[in-house]
Amino acid sequence: MTKRLILIPAWNEEANLPGVLKSVAREAEGFDVLVVDDGSGDATSRIAVENGVQAIRHPFNLGYGASLQTGYKYALRHGVELVVQMDADGQHRAEDVTRLCEPVLEDRLDLVIGSRFLEPTDYEFGAIRGTGRSLFGGIARYFGLRITDPTSGFQALNRKVLRLYSGESFPSDFPDVDVLLAAHRAGIRIGEVSVEMREAPRTSTLHSGLRPIYYVYKMLLSIWANAERPEPPRDG
Amino acid sequence: MSEQELAELRHALLNAPESGVTQAIAILFSLMLIVAVLWLVKRRKLREEYTPIWLGVALAVFAVTVELDLLRVITRMIGAWTPSSTIFFLGELFLVVICLNYAVRLSRMSVQMKSLAQEVALLRAGRESGARFSGEADA
Repeated sequence: MTKRLILIPAWNEEANLPGVLKSVAREAEGFDVLVVDDGSGDATSRIAVENGVQAIRHPFNLGYGASLQTGYKYALRHGVELVVQMDADGQHRAEDVTRLCEPVLEDRLDLVIGSRFLEPTDYEFGAIRGTGRSLFGGIARYFGLRITDPTSGFQALNRKVLRLYSGESFPSDFPDVDVLLAAHRAGIRIGEVSVEMREAPRTSTLHSGLRPIYYVYKMLLSIWANAERPEPPRDG
Repeated sequence: MSEQELAELRHALLNAPESGVTQAIAILFSLMLIVAVLWLVKRRKLREEYTPIWLGVALAVFAVTVELDLLRVITRMIGAWTPSSTIFFLGELFLVVICLNYAVRLSRMSVQMKSLAQEVALLRAGRESGARFSGEADA
């Protein structure tokens, strides 16, 4: 049987993590679970261990992208063939994990994004984030990647993607449409599956202060730089 | 020199016609800085998160060079006599700020490095003593 892993990057998520782990245990059979605690100041990693899942704790905060990459490296070392990454804040539903994995297990795709917008939805994104989604969706389309939810962190990935994402260029902060475009350019087959998501708690530092402006700036710069670099070798 | 004369001199210096060569050099410098930053990002020598300050400086130099009246307004505001001294003053200010910024980053990184080295040492010690206690080291 394919070795599968659910990867949950977490930073100060002691309040939400128990619920997420319980729903994963209930809904996603046949998966190992790994929580990457990104140097939390609370009991995040202890809660993970108490719930019987593997936990890796960063000695200090490295960023969301770095937490994901720690999980990818762990998966590669342990022979995992399929990783599903989901957030620790309860936004992503464990009920969707099986559907998310199907295209990867059937070898139709290498990377599957759980999309909130593939089908008509009531999901509220707000004006700024909605504009960001349209902008980055448009840029992705320009580069030949048709995706409706470029900022979704709910994804299923196979080993080909894990190898690509374990490289030095993977960002430590927010790996979004820039890494998707880099993957697309490297020949990774990317697609989407419709999922439902709960509203994200408004505690994220990404959505406060000047962060949204910096996020857009950084994404645009990163996308440009990726497009300007020589074509990466395609991994068959 | 009377106060009146000093005021007239300052007014004359502030409103002296700009040198086209200086303006061209400043524009060239700011454009070269932008190109250098983008080139370094493209070559993966500079991470994106370190670019805003440098691109900001390049754009600021470009803005005050193209719109010299803006530089004159700043010069009057800070009490300087010539636009060029304002440029020097702002340049020094920027260097102090960026040095302080890097000192803060370095301090944070040295603490992180120390934590990391301690973690590695503790993990290694844990593995070695664990192996010794269980007798696996001799196996």
